[in-house]
Formats: sequence, structure tokens, C-alpha cells
Amino acid sequence: MILLDFERIWPSVPYILEGVQVTLAYTAVSLCLGFVWGMLLALCKVSSVNFLKWCAGFYTSVFRGTPLLLQLTLIYYATPQLTGYTISIWEAGILTFTLNSGAYVSEHIRAGINAVDKGQMEAALSLGISYSLIMKDIILPQAIRNSLPSLVNEAIDLIKESTLISVIGGADILRRANIVASEKYLYFEPLIVAGALYYVLIMILTFAAQLLEKKLKTT
Amino acid sequence: MIRLEKIHKFFGDHEVLKGISGHVAQGEVLAIIGPSGSGKSTLLRAINLLEVPTSGKVCIDGVCITEGRVDIGKIRSKVGMVFQQFNLFPHMTTLENIIYAPIKVKKLPRKKAVALGKSLLAKVGLKNKANTYPPHLSGGQKQRAAIARALAMEPEAILFDEPTSALDPEVVKEVLNVMKELAHTGITMVIVTHEMGFAREVADRVWFLDEGHLVEDSASQTFFKSPQTKRAREFLEKVL
Ligand SMILES: Nc1ncnc2c1ncn2[C@@H]1O[C@H](COP(=O)(O)OP(=O)(O)O)[C@@H](O)[C@H]1O
Ligand SMILES: [Mg+2]
Repeated sequence: MILLDFERIWPSVPYILEGVQVTLAYTAVSLCLGFVWGMLLALCKVSSVNFLKWCAGFYTSVFRGTPLLLQLTLIYYATPQLTGYTISIWEAGILTFTLNSGAYVSEHIRAGINAVDKGQMEAALSLGISYSLIMKDIILPQAIRNSLPSLVNEAIDLIKESTLISVIGGADILRRANIVASEKYLYFEPLIVAGALYYVLIMILTFAAQLLEKKLKTT
Repeated sequence: MIRLEKIHKFFGDHEVLKGISGHVAQGEVLAIIGPSGSGKSTLLRAINLLEVPTSGKVCIDGVCITEGRVDIGKIRSKVGMVFQQFNLFPHMTTLENIIYAPIKVKKLPRKKAVALGKSLLAKVGLKNKANTYPPHLSGGQKQRAAIARALAMEPEAILFDEPTSALDPEVVKEVLNVMKELAHTGITMVIVTHEMGFAREVADRVWFLDEGHLVEDSASQTFFKSPQTKRAREFLEKVL
């Protein structure tokens, strides 16, 4: 018979809940920075400068072609070795997630740029508008709108991937659940609480994504 | 004001323009007609270098823009363009569409640009659509807005690429009327069109293109009454 003992972990639930903040902080900050970085990479990818294109393409292939956990541990443990700078868990996490999600975001935005009608660029050029202004005011606003649904999916991925921070000691939801588990010798209950928290967070985002997609379709 | 010299254009090894030379005078209305695929759009787009000719010269007001070291943006703001697919910016209101380039390119103060934009909207019959987004305009309204957008830069010339071909028949006229009012006001117009009645009525001259050649360059009257070439005659018989 399986005995569930939620009562014993009840006092630890607030401790696990505090992890929500940590998880969201990693996700939100990396997402914002990754968005900016991804946009720059996407601009390189659609530019006519072959060198920039190649660099951005190579960058993306490296970050998509290696495990995120490897990227995280490499940045966390190798940075002090290479530079002498003792990088904090927070810095290593934000840096890794930003660099990694930038690669994915750049692909979403690039697809969004390519989906903008070619006539938009031509009309803008025919008015004598410069390339940088066209990108900033005409192409990117439409491209970002096109890629919003995939950007929300990127946020969902990041919430899940942020659990990797627990491997190097970041006190996110998962890490806290594991700490509670090892203190109380109870595994199922704290992990279920953590799972429920992730599920709720992701469902909220999914719901927001659906609303957004509906709204984009009608306008 | 527009001079073309031996324009050749290849797409890969497909030669689309086979040595086109010609001249459009200031204030003239030129209609470019010909079968589809004959290179009309490519020629028109060569004039503002949306399509860069493989060889040959394009000169605007004596400045040969195919010869490097030219501020192409500046030339383009002198030569407006109206597209078959309108190409309005969907995320800007109709008024913003019109005033964006005057503000950003010509550095017109916003207040002046808004006044200009509103007067242009009135001119094309869209006075009450200033704050409407293009997706909510009808095809005819979109094209009139696009004409207003081109006019807002106060260009010396406007290039029209089949401006009514994407429109429902019942709204073609409202767009052609706007263009008619524009003709012979001093602005140079180069119009690729299948509207023969319109070309006959409004154009001063006609270029007839066939398979990348400028087969005939005649006064509009002459062209429609007694085309000089056999190919133009055959074409007119088919379309009239
Ligand atoms: N960007 C392009 N790439 C390759 N071929 C093209 C391109 N644009 C036009 N063409 C070809 O050039 C020819 C002339 O096209 P176009 O100038 O659009 O003719 P028209 O406007 O008279 O119908 C066509 O055969 C067309 O397929
Ligand atoms: Mg065409």
C-alpha cells in the first residue's frame, strides 16, 4: 500500500513556493536578454553581409547542437578557470540561458522576418527610407508579431530548462523540492508539489499563448 | 527627367530586358503596355533600382544612379512608386503610412506632416480614414492611400505597376480617377497598365514591350490609332 504523507512536508511548502520567484526570475530575465540577443542575431542572419550571416548561423548551430546542461556547467566551472572571475550561480544561469535562448529566439524572429511580405521592404525602399529604419519601424514590428506564438513557447521551454540551475546549486523550485526530500526522506510528495507548481506556471503561459494567437488571428 | 540607356537585365541566364533605351520628359505621362512576362515590371523597377540592371544606365535628372556613389535613398524619395499589391504598412494607420517617410526621410516637422497627410487623404477621398488600419480598408481605398503615401514625398515622378490589377472591377474607376487628376499637374507618371481605355485617354506616350524589347515608342494617339509595328497591332487586336 502506498502511503502519502503530505502532512510531514506541509511546513516546507512555503519554502518550495519561494522557488517560484527564483524560477520566474531566471526565466524572465533570460527571456528578455535572450530576446534582445536573438533579435540582433536574426538581423545578422537576414543581412547581406555574408560574414555576419555565417557567424550568426554558426553560433546558433553550436547552441542548438550541444546539451544545455553542458553549456551551463562549462560556463559555471570554466569561467573561473579561464578568466579568474568567480561567477555566481545567478550570473552563470542568466548568461547560459540568455546565450542559449538567444539562439532559438533568433530562429523564430528570422522566420518572422521572412514571413513579412517582400512588398513591405520594396514599398519602404521606394520611399527612400534607410535600411536600418525599415528594419526597426517596418519589418521588425511585423516580424515580432509573427513570431509571438513561438516566443511564448520559448518562454515555456525556458521555465522547464531553468530547472538545470538546480544542478549547480540554484535554489529554484526543483532544487528546493529535492532539499526537502532529502531532509524528510520523502521523495514523492515534495516532487509532486514541485511538479504541480511547474504545471500551473506553464498552463498559465499556454493559456496566454492561446489567447494571444486568437487575438492575432482576428486583427 | 528619366533616361534609360541600353538596359539589360538577366535573372540567372534568362534575359528579361534586352537592351532598352528611352527617355521620359518632365511632366509626361507614359504608359508601358505589353503581354504579361514581357518585362514591364522589371523595367519599371529598374527605374528606382528595386531591380538593379545587369548593364546599362538609369539616369534621373541627369544623375546616373547605376554608377555607384549615388545616394539612392535621395533619388528614391524623388521617384515614388505604387504597387499592384498596395504594400501599405499594416501596423500603421493610414495617416501614419503617409506621414512616416516625410517625417523620417525629409525631416518634415510632425505638425506639418500631419497637415500634409490630411490634405492628401482628402484629395484621394479618404478624409475619414486617417485613423483606420489598412487591413480594414477596401482594395480601392488601399490603393488610393498608397497613392497618397507616394505623393507625400512630393516626388517628381511616380511609377505605377499595374495599380488596378488587384482590384475588383467596380473600384477600378475610383483609383483611375485619382490618377487622372494627377496627370498633367507637372508630375511625371510612368504607368504599367492593362487598362487600354485609360492609357489612351490619359497617356501622352506609349511604350510597347515584347519579350524584353521596346518594340514601339509612340505618341499615345498614334499608337492606338495606327500602331507602327506588327506585334503591337496584333497585341491591340487581342486586348481591345
Ligand atoms: N525576381 C525574379 N527572378 C527571376 N525571374 C524573374 C524575376 N522577376 C521577373 N522574372 C521573370 O522575368 C520575366 C518578366 O517579368 P515581369 O517584368 O514581371 O513581366 P511583366 O511585368 O511584363 O508581366 C518573366 O519571365 C518573369 O518570370
Ligand atoms: Mg508585371
